[in-house]
Amino acid sequence: MGESLIIETSGLRKTFGEIEALRGLDLQVPAGSICGFLGRNGAGKTTTIKVLLGLIRATGGEARVFGLPAGEERASVEIRRRAALVSEAEDLYGAMTVEQMIRFTASFFPGWRSDLQARLLRRFDLRSGTTIKRLSQGMRTRLALLLALCRGAELLVLDEPTSGLDPAAAEEVLQALVTYIAEEPKTIFLCSHQIAEIEQIADRVAIIDHGRLVLSGSLDALQRSFRRISMVFDRDAPAVEFRGAGVARVRREGRALTVFSNDGGDAVLDQARALHPVSVEVAPVGLKEIFFETIAAED
Amino acid sequence: MLWYKSWLETRWRFLIGLGVLLCSAVATVYTYPQVLRLLPLVSPQGHGALSAEIRQSIELSRHYRGFIWLQWFRQNSIDWTTVFAILLGTSGVVSNSRQTGFTLSLPLSRTRVAGVRGAAGLGELFALVFLPSIVVPLLSPAIGQTYSMADTLIHGACLFVGATVFFSAAFLFSHVFDDVWRPLLLAFALVVAFAVLDKALHAPAIFSVMSGETFFRTGRLPWPGLLACVAASGAMGWITLRIFMHRDL
Repeated sequence: MGESLIIETSGLRKTFGEIEALRGLDLQVPAGSICGFLGRNGAGKTTTIKVLLGLIRATGGEARVFGLPAGEERASVEIRRRAALVSEAEDLYGAMTVEQMIRFTASFFPGWRSDLQARLLRRFDLRSGTTIKRLSQGMRTRLALLLALCRGAELLVLDEPTSGLDPAAAEEVLQALVTYIAEEPKTIFLCSHQIAEIEQIADRVAIIDHGRLVLSGSLDALQRSFRRISMVFDRDAPAVEFRGAGVARVRREGRALTVFSNDGGDAVLDQARALHPVSVEVAPVGLKEIFFETIAAED
Repeated sequence: MLWYKSWLETRWRFLIGLGVLLCSAVATVYTYPQVLRLLPLVSPQGHGALSAEIRQSIELSRHYRGFIWLQWFRQNSIDWTTVFAILLGTSGVVSNSRQTGFTLSLPLSRTRVAGVRGAAGLGELFALVFLPSIVVPLLSPAIGQTYSMADTLIHGACLFVGATVFFSAAFLFSHVFDDVWRPLLLAFALVVAFAVLDKALHAPAIFSVMSGETFFRTGRLPWPGLLACVAASGAMGWITLRIFMHRDL
């Protein structure tokens, strides 16, 4: 039996006028995973989230969350009952106080976690009587996270949660998230272009570029399979074409030839040795490099 | 809680409107003794339309009922209610899009979100129409006059039904455009268009329905006009919901 999927899209398309934001996105997020959703600005990350939560309608394809069709009004209400969104936008109600905002949100969720609320209010040093428009961006983000976590949601969707925060505030938000996940395993869909954040907490990664999924899988498996094979020659590097599966990208600079392999690198290494380089080095690559090489290969 | 949020977001428009209309109602009542003193001094000459209108105003003002209808139900109340109906209507969900994202991420249907906002606005409009109008019969004994509460309620009902057209138009525009200014400008353009049509056609139009002129002159309610207003408001409300259901936010 396959793993159960919390988020599943197939051939998902969304156009805004003549702009194609999503061009056939096929995405799968298993239950219980912490999935980092990476992409450049404008790659289609926020559009994907909005489609999943029923805030915008897809132009084509299918999106299901908890097995429910995200494009149907009734189903999307049920999805939002079981999912929580922390958005980068400053969209909390400025006229309300922290306490009013919490009471307002809690009124829609029967399983509201008052114990967690009290703990997070203390941890984030949020004062109940402060009007939201007087809160700094960092405090607003903390409040948005509190509102999301206390719902008892099965799925937590975070859209650039640390955008605009200083490093200390961003770290505090991430730590709060890590603590929460450790205590209560949930499915997390973390959308960001902060690769370090994703690397810190995610166990799966999906990379989107130009509205299409270009890479996905468990972070461990990706880091095991991606290798950088660097060759140095005593002459200009030969313009060879590496054939076969597993060649993500080839870069030639003077006497150096670098091949990025997404298949462990063994096949590439055999071909490389046949070129008689002065030296060959095989090195593992981090998520940052995987991301850059993957999207560079798409350009 | 959704009602409470709507109230928080529109309370200043409503409270300012209520303050303005209450002051206007009180001023209308307390102006009457002065008007009575000045009436014998006014004698319009000429045969033009303006002179005829002034003569008609003088005649109506000789009686308290006529004066209240002329100054309050046909003028001050209509003017201010129209302005605040539009201001309340432009507090729609989409033109307040900075906060729409959070609201729509809650387990709420769009019908409920727009419905509560629309109903809250109509409730405030209802209060804006009736509370200041009721001040008139309550305050009249203070200047030695009386004004019928029944007349007040009937004129108030006509005013409210007419004002819902402007509210619904502004509400519709505020769900079509993402900003506040275009809905406001379009709604006020609609008021100007109605006013021009009113004058050009010399036929009872929406402002005549709002003032309850037929009821004042003949004692009969302007049913066709009222029904047309209800139908127009209902149609615009339905279109608003359809647009909001299918909008990307």
